[in-house]
Amino acid sequence: MAMIDSRRDPLAVSRLSLSLLIVLLAWPVLKAAEFNPGALFDAANLKVIGRFLAAFLPPQTGADFLSELLQATLQTLAIATAGMSLALLVAVPLAYRVSRVCRAHPGLQLITRGLLTVLRGIPELVWALLFVRLMGLGPAAGVLALGLTYGGMLAKVYAEILESVDQTPARASQAAGASRPVAMLYGLLPLAAKELVSYTVYRWECALRASVVMGFVGAGGLGQLMDQAMKMLNGGEACSVLIVFLCLVVLADSLSGWLRQALDAPSQRQPSAFGLRSTWFGLLLTLSIFSSFALLSIDFSDLLSLQAGQSMAWFVSGFFPADMSADVLLKTVYGVWQTLAVSVLGTALAAVAGLLLAVSRPRTLVNAVLNVCRSVPELVWATLTVLAVGLGPFAGALALALHTTGVLGRLFAQAIDNATRAPTLALRHVGASRSLAFVYATLPQIAPQLLAYTLYRWEMNIRMAAILGFVGAGGLGQLLYVALSLMDYPQACTLIIAMLLLSMLVDQASAWLRRLMA
Amino acid sequence: MSIRLDQLDFVHPNGLVALKRIQLQVRAGEQVALIGPSGAGKTTLLSVIGARLVPTRGQVTVLDQAVDMQDEHSLRLLRPRIGSIYQSPPLPARQRVVTAVLAGRLGVWPVWKSLASLLYPMDINGASKVLSQVQLSDKLFDRCDQLSGGQLQRVGMARVLYQQADLALADEPVSALDPGLALAMLQVLQQDASARDATLITSLHAVDLALGCFPRIVGLRDGEIAFDLPAQEVTQAMLDDLFANEATQAKDGDMSAAQHTLIQPPA
Repeated sequence: MAMIDSRRDPLAVSRLSLSLLIVLLAWPVLKAAEFNPGALFDAANLKVIGRFLAAFLPPQTGADFLSELLQATLQTLAIATAGMSLALLVAVPLAYRVSRVCRAHPGLQLITRGLLTVLRGIPELVWALLFVRLMGLGPAAGVLALGLTYGGMLAKVYAEILESVDQTPARASQAAGASRPVAMLYGLLPLAAKELVSYTVYRWECALRASVVMGFVGAGGLGQLMDQAMKMLNGGEACSVLIVFLCLVVLADSLSGWLRQALDAPSQRQPSAFGLRSTWFGLLLTLSIFSSFALLSIDFSDLLSLQAGQSMAWFVSGFFPADMSADVLLKTVYGVWQTLAVSVLGTALAAVAGLLLAVSRPRTLVNAVLNVCRSVPELVWATLTVLAVGLGPFAGALALALHTTGVLGRLFAQAIDNATRAPTLALRHVGASRSLAFVYATLPQIAPQLLAYTLYRWEMNIRMAAILGFVGAGGLGQLLYVALSLMDYPQACTLIIAMLLLSMLVDQASAWLRRLMA
Repeated sequence: MSIRLDQLDFVHPNGLVALKRIQLQVRAGEQVALIGPSGAGKTTLLSVIGARLVPTRGQVTVLDQAVDMQDEHSLRLLRPRIGSIYQSPPLPARQRVVTAVLAGRLGVWPVWKSLASLLYPMDINGASKVLSQVQLSDKLFDRCDQLSGGQLQRVGMARVLYQQADLALADEPVSALDPGLALAMLQVLQQDASARDATLITSLHAVDLALGCFPRIVGLRDGEIAFDLPAQEVTQAMLDDLFANEATQAKDGDMSAAQHTLIQPPA
């Protein structure tokens, strides 16, 4: 067997070049994200964050503050609910218009599609910031921002769901002479209803988190209270707000889980499609929507008056034409690059930390840590990391990493649990240590899954990195926040366009990647 | 004495009795074939000898060492010396053959070497040598999910050849191979064992292979040793008796005794 000695690993070259590429790319990424783990242990920073965290205990429980907290909690719930109902008003007609189902000649619907892209491509936080500028501080800005962004998102997903179900019943009724809306109501809706409702409930849960986040730009609710507490470095108050917020997230999580389970329950045999339970639920829902609007005392008639229209038109026209000077463009490009770098660093750190936590024991402790990590939104983490390492993109990367670790850690742990045990056991039985058996036998099984999860989160993190700058964590967001504060609206317009383009690019890239991996 | 099992019982957690009062001694360097109908306890017996299962009762001595599953340290030293061949080799689908084979020495390689080997295989020549023994040298850099069931079985075999274990335990190692290749592969295992004076215990469905290749035959039925004899002393009557229950079950459309001489690919 003379050939034996001449054998080389055919993958060696590609592996080596891949590693080189990663190293070559890692350097500028770390540079742009201002990676500096030393800042975590800087004496001055440690003192600030230490004093702040020390003040967390005991949480603030003064009667005045508690009543303020209760108000803010109700307001947050109301913003989410009112925002969602507004989003539904936006989404249903748009989805009907943009969806290709039941059309004889499916046109491109370019204008509607473009509108959807703009609505959901601009993050809700940016919308909120704009509405705060326009209408002043308060929950109305949050409701409108949610209504627009979530309206765009819901419309897109609704249209996709309608297109994904079996089209034959609807076509049959159309062939029998039914109009498009009737054919959709009778032929498509029964098939798609469960998925539509389930997605809406999930989005309501997201809206709750988003309404807290929007409070940081002055759109009311728990977020605004949290922002005040952070600005005054009042740890006790921040802790109370955080505890209430975590409880709210857990409650919303279980409520939406319960609702989705209820959807699976078989319907009773009765003449009406709606039983006692759905009647109660419908009543409750209507009541909560009305009380939400009442609580927030938003008067939309103000918005529709001539005067408001004029001031709005004047405000919007201030943004155009966008500032396309070389100076601003260069700044914008660097902002985009920094945003990308922050998202890469944050996601990479989270993937490593998530995997380490997913294999750690004891399970209950790890799960508790993961739950806290992912329940706290990125922006709230960012307010803390900014204290811990100072203003700048590294704080943003850390905030992304903390939240994403919670998400990925849970997904990774599930993937590990679902892997076949036999290969790992076989290696344990030739004397391999637990960790070696894991990397040799478990990891190869789940690697594609881990990669898919990580890429998916990276996509979300790019969008998130673009707005973390609102609390001083670098990237496009920080530039936009500064431009808006200086009332340099043309420059703000350029930056918003950049965000929009980035979001569209990510959309395209992830669709391409999904096709590639499928 | 390489292996000594003393009054061994094994009861599965669900209450099923798999082994009863097993009394078995195997000298170092001996080659033994285990035969018996399906469900006789062959796999369980091999798992107990391989320090993979804790017996419900009784003492196990393997490679002159009393097996104590609580003693992690001595177990870590013992296990690299025991090689197991599985009927359907538990190999990760996306792993390459070279890595799957080299994993046989994870128990003795230092950690840095094991980790580096994931990036660049640390012993390509060694893997290539054992793969050519099982006639798979062209599959060195292929992924396991590109191989057939029979090829996978031989990769599992190559891993144990590479491991250089003092005790090789093979559970239906050739069930997915055609008869000619099955014989050749058994001979490879036997030659490797005798060259290193290692002990080899193999369970086989194909009775003719067992009788033709192995000097000592242990017949197992209902978790008990029915006979333990030199191959030439095993009579047709003993075999008929051993597989008798299965023959009656065959009337209900179950597995027949005749099928044991046929080759069954793993599920």
